[in-house]
Amino acid sequence: MSDSIAVGIDLGTSYSCVAATRDGTPQIILNEWGERTHASVVSFLDDGTVLVGNDAKKNIITHAERTVYSAKRLIGRFFFSDEVKKAQSVMPYRIVEGPNNSVRVQVGEQVLAVPEISALVLKEMKAIAETALGRPVTQAVVTCPAYFNDNQRQATKDAGRIAGLEVLRIINEPTAAALAYGFGKDVSQKLCVYDLGGGTFDVSILEIGKDVFEVLSTAGDTYLGGDDFDDRIMTWLADAFLQEHGLDLRQNKFCLQMLKEASERAKIEVGREGSARIHVPGICQSPEGEVLDLTRALDAETFNRMVMDLVQRTFKVCDEALQSARLTAGDIDAVILVGGPTRLPVIRSSVRHYFQKEPMAGIDPDEVVALGASIQAAALLDEGAAAAGQASYLLDVTPLSLRVGTVGGFAEKILEKNTPIPIERSKTFTTSRDGQDRVRIRVYQGESNRAEGCELLGEFEFAGFRIGLRGEVQIQVTFEIDSNGIVNVSAQDLESGQRTSTTISLSSGLSEAELRSAIDKNAGLELASHGVAAA
Amino acid sequence: MTPEFRIEVEALAGALDLIDYFGILKLPRTAELAEIKAAYYRESRAYHPDRFAAVPDPELRAAVGKIYRRINEAYTVLRDEQRRRKYAADVSGPDRAAKLRFTEAEESQLKDEQKRKLEEQFGQTPNGRKLYATALQEMAAGRWDAAGRALKTALMYEPGNPRFQEQLAVVEQQKPRSDPFRIK
Repeated sequence: MSDSIAVGIDLGTSYSCVAATRDGTPQIILNEWGERTHASVVSFLDDGTVLVGNDAKKNIITHAERTVYSAKRLIGRFFFSDEVKKAQSVMPYRIVEGPNNSVRVQVGEQVLAVPEISALVLKEMKAIAETALGRPVTQAVVTCPAYFNDNQRQATKDAGRIAGLEVLRIINEPTAAALAYGFGKDVSQKLCVYDLGGGTFDVSILEIGKDVFEVLSTAGDTYLGGDDFDDRIMTWLADAFLQEHGLDLRQNKFCLQMLKEASERAKIEVGREGSARIHVPGICQSPEGEVLDLTRALDAETFNRMVMDLVQRTFKVCDEALQSARLTAGDIDAVILVGGPTRLPVIRSSVRHYFQKEPMAGIDPDEVVALGASIQAAALLDEGAAAAGQASYLLDVTPLSLRVGTVGGFAEKILEKNTPIPIERSKTFTTSRDGQDRVRIRVYQGESNRAEGCELLGEFEFAGFRIGLRGEVQIQVTFEIDSNGIVNVSAQDLESGQRTSTTISLSSGLSEAELRSAIDKNAGLELASHGVAAA
Repeated sequence: MTPEFRIEVEALAGALDLIDYFGILKLPRTAELAEIKAAYYRESRAYHPDRFAAVPDPELRAAVGKIYRRINEAYTVLRDEQRRRKYAADVSGPDRAAKLRFTEAEESQLKDEQKRKLEEQFGQTPNGRKLYATALQEMAAGRWDAAGRALKTALMYEPGNPRFQEQLAVVEQQKPRSDPFRIK
């Protein structure tokens, strides 16, 4: 199948990466400057072009209001969610409310939906692949955290479509990592993938039986990532500065960005060297006009103490995943570390201690997810792989229980978390009034039996069934979770078998019309070339 | 894809509602967890939708999808020992035709059954359960008087609980016939 190619894209909170599998070998695709990973940062330049990647990251300080980063923290969320509120207080770019409680980003006059921002990152990945491969690339497998809910998955898929990519599949990051590890190895073992990214934490427990990769359980925390480690250093630096100079660096968004950058660098340095020297000349000016520098030294012990509770939180999630899989840490044959922060010695030693096992060596935590996605992409295009015995099968699960809202604010479980997907489940609803012509249900995802404790996926309205006395008409609603982890709901009149029409409202997603205009807008935006200083 | 395979897939997809979960996974009703998992892997290799993702025939892909969703459904029920036991009993009974799929009705039946068993074992009221637990502890420690008192009080909360009565009988037997220190 040399006439078609599909790439694998790891769309990360902080960094993204693209890979392709050619002749059975997955490989990272480098950009023209030899960079293997690319900052998920989008900077809108004054000339109307957009700069994406590591060069755009430099603009976070100089063009703070026109440079968008960590969009993945916002994707598929409602405007009123805590994560969005938190982002509003720390992000230098403007986050505004869109229709249906959705989130929009305002850059100058332009208002963009979050998937449109992610689409620009994907567009850059597509361009990198096209340049390196010397051919158009229109199909991709895109990864997302295992713990992403339906809204977030749907938004990720929309981002791909906006970028002009046919998203063959959304696969879970830990599953992709497991595939890259076990592909072609012919092993049978139990595996734990510990995936600490920039903004999310996932654990998946898998059982590999040669070519079958069965996810036994998955658990996660979409509010925990490397950024939180940076925050700890920021607080430490800012508090000391406040005490010394009486100035709070966090009050000014410009200072805040310099502080954030210095903290991230210090985290990486302390992980690699065991200590870090932080020096930011001229971070701010005192009321008397004196230019102040930020200078401090951070040693490993201080850093480890600062982040210990975050590290502990990851193991609570590991406990939960193991319990769901009905296993203990001792049953795990191999541990794979994924994500940049897992390079930190404090994480490595804690993982070693928890599992009583050395994590697998020789796996690049920044690249393994993209490699796995590219293997899956190639497999989905290859009709003959199974016959040739080269196929591998991903048996994944849904990370969250699917629920419907009932009277009194409760949410009744339809499908339990960690159920293998794709799967479907039906439930029968009856009319509650005479002559009722429509039935409305709200669908949720989450582990609370109260609706307010779960994430709303949308309100579905069914109409076009027979009209009768109350309780007489029965409508069978089928909930399906597809291989992407995306929920589809359909209904039929149980007696006549006739399908009813379905309309979705209260959803955070983009409408078809909005999507179309986003596709046009994206196609019209030109990517700026790198190495050129932002004007 | 050979035409024979296509016919096979379509026949299976059409007949899904007539086959029980054991049939879907091609297993005997006595199958244990290891066998069930092996069968699930075997059927996944045969019907996983990814195998057919590149097949330019939407009808075949839809049929495979339908089969695979049912394979997952079968695995979800059969891998759980309690659900499996109930399901095996259901499809062996007279209502077999209506019980081929494990639906919310069966799920709640199973839950009720578990609750009832738990109640039979440990009591139906919070106080009854607490006193019963105390009684069992006292019995283990050989303090028969205290155990007897706890059980009698428990029976005030739950008159006629067979489990409590049974234990009380045991206690009464263990108690010395007459208390030598009591003045008659």
